[in-house]
Amino acid sequence: MRTIPDENQIVLDDVSKFYGEVLGINRVSLAIPAGITSLVGPNGSGKTTLMNLMTGLLQPSQGQVWVLGLSPSRPEKLFPKLGYCTQFDSFPKGLTGRQLLCSQLRLHGWGRPEAAARAQKTLERVGLTEAADRRVAGYSKGMRQRIKLALAICHDPSVLVLDEPLNGLDPLARAEMLALFREMAARGIHLLISSHILHEVDLISDRVILINNGFVVAEGDIREVRDEMQEHPRQILVRCNKPGLLAARIFEENQGIEVRIHDDHRGLLVKTRCADQFYLMMNRAVLETGLDVEFIAPADDDVNSVYGYLIGADGGRP
Amino acid sequence: MAVYKHSYQRYGGELTAIWSRFLILPRYAFQEVFRSKFLIALLVGSYVCPVVYALIIYLHHNLTALRILNTNPAFLVAIDKHFFYMFLQIQAGVGFLLSALVGPGLISPDLANNALPLYLSRPFSRVEYVLGKMSVLIILLSAITWVPGLLLLLLQSNLEGGSWFVSNLRIAGALCLGSWIWILFLSLFSLTLSAWVKWRFVAGALLFGLLSFVEGMGAAINNIFDTNAGYLINLSEVMRTVWSSLFALQGNGRIALDDAWRSLLAFCVICLLMLSRKVKAYEVVK
Repeated sequence: MRTIPDENQIVLDDVSKFYGEVLGINRVSLAIPAGITSLVGPNGSGKTTLMNLMTGLLQPSQGQVWVLGLSPSRPEKLFPKLGYCTQFDSFPKGLTGRQLLCSQLRLHGWGRPEAAARAQKTLERVGLTEAADRRVAGYSKGMRQRIKLALAICHDPSVLVLDEPLNGLDPLARAEMLALFREMAARGIHLLISSHILHEVDLISDRVILINNGFVVAEGDIREVRDEMQEHPRQILVRCNKPGLLAARIFEENQGIEVRIHDDHRGLLVKTRCADQFYLMMNRAVLETGLDVEFIAPADDDVNSVYGYLIGADGGRP
Repeated sequence: MAVYKHSYQRYGGELTAIWSRFLILPRYAFQEVFRSKFLIALLVGSYVCPVVYALIIYLHHNLTALRILNTNPAFLVAIDKHFFYMFLQIQAGVGFLLSALVGPGLISPDLANNALPLYLSRPFSRVEYVLGKMSVLIILLSAITWVPGLLLLLLQSNLEGGSWFVSNLRIAGALCLGSWIWILFLSLFSLTLSAWVKWRFVAGALLFGLLSFVEGMGAAINNIFDTNAGYLINLSEVMRTVWSSLFALQGNGRIALDDAWRSLLAFCVICLLMLSRKVKAYEVVK
């Protein structure tokens, strides 16, 4: 069945891309709604290929792509609505940051005064006003990331595709960028971000697409993805005053397959097949034994853990 | 999962015409061109011939000046189609030099810096990109070929009288068409080299080298096979044949006019194919 282009989503329908005999991505079908979607995978997994296909810079070998109902093969229709920040520092020679932004806005059809005013506003937004009149060739890595982001957001796109936008940024700048992404997502913009910084991906993403060797391994809300992974027992961290007693209760009720008591005897890490039943058991244990529970939280339902389970700590290399 | 309301406002202001957007590219390219003092000197030098030609036209119509210079008007070169044909040949040569210096620096820096994805992730096509880059050469070469040529023609018409212009209207057409053919070919050729050779100096040298090489090869073909077919790859010969026909002059008959046009067309198609292979957002390396 063919997917119908949706004006509110980015849709990939059975998309494959081959570079000669080399696989880029294979039979990818996705429907990405507004909000922040993170694309996670090891180097060479096909993240950039997927982004280039969405932006029409590459043509799929098979399948179809629609971005808000538009085909990427129509740049004149697509790019007024889409901003793309590539991972490579690619800039025309000899221009200052301001000139670069103005020229790109004018390619979008903005008049000279409007382009100048918007360039200034965007430079302020990404914190680059002081370096605006310096040549881009002399920018630091962080400044280059900022100007690339400015180029992607300057024309008010509805869809932002950002390839490794956090690379090379210091922690403060990263925090600023993440805040900017959240603010944009809150305004209903589609953000597709690829990143290797998994804990930050985890903080901001509404959903994650895990990709490895050109295949989509998992997609959706990361907790829902984790729930689907039955072959990996859930790890739950409990801090309480009687970890030994709790461990005995866990095995007594057959709710755990492995328990590790912390060295300080103030908590334990439980591996369980069914988290929901474990939580119910915890409720009973607290009521019946007077257990003083400081906190209880899942320990492996973040992007990092899911990435480790599905792709492997070695990045999926055979 | 978060729920997001569409609250952003997209730009609702007036947009410039789509057809005009490729002209954004030459603006910054010209800044780069005029940064070179040598290129400015060459550009100024390319007006020496038009000035000399204007002086000749002026002298033709000013007996006092001729008397002062003690020159007989009969010794001055006649102002006719040969006069403007020579003008076009000289200016085309200067244009070749200019495009060898400017052309190679137009696309190669963008390719070397991977800047093409930046341009092509705008509402901007590959054709518009090439047109934008080409317009740099078109504007520069126009400024030294058909524009001064037409000005000289107007000067002559003004001094000689309107009837001269009417009876020599073909010269105006030949000047414009002949210049445009040369400009388009030269722009395509230098942009192709710029796209394929990343080092601009090498690309500039290749522009000279390739044309000399094919001329030499053409001569070799003529000698070995005792034919004139080698002239078909000799661009100067091809252009001379085309220009001669445009100015209604007797050509040297080495190649037929139809063959000259076909040869020129083939050169341009090859250049376009090579350009389309290189001007891509991403180059797939197999």
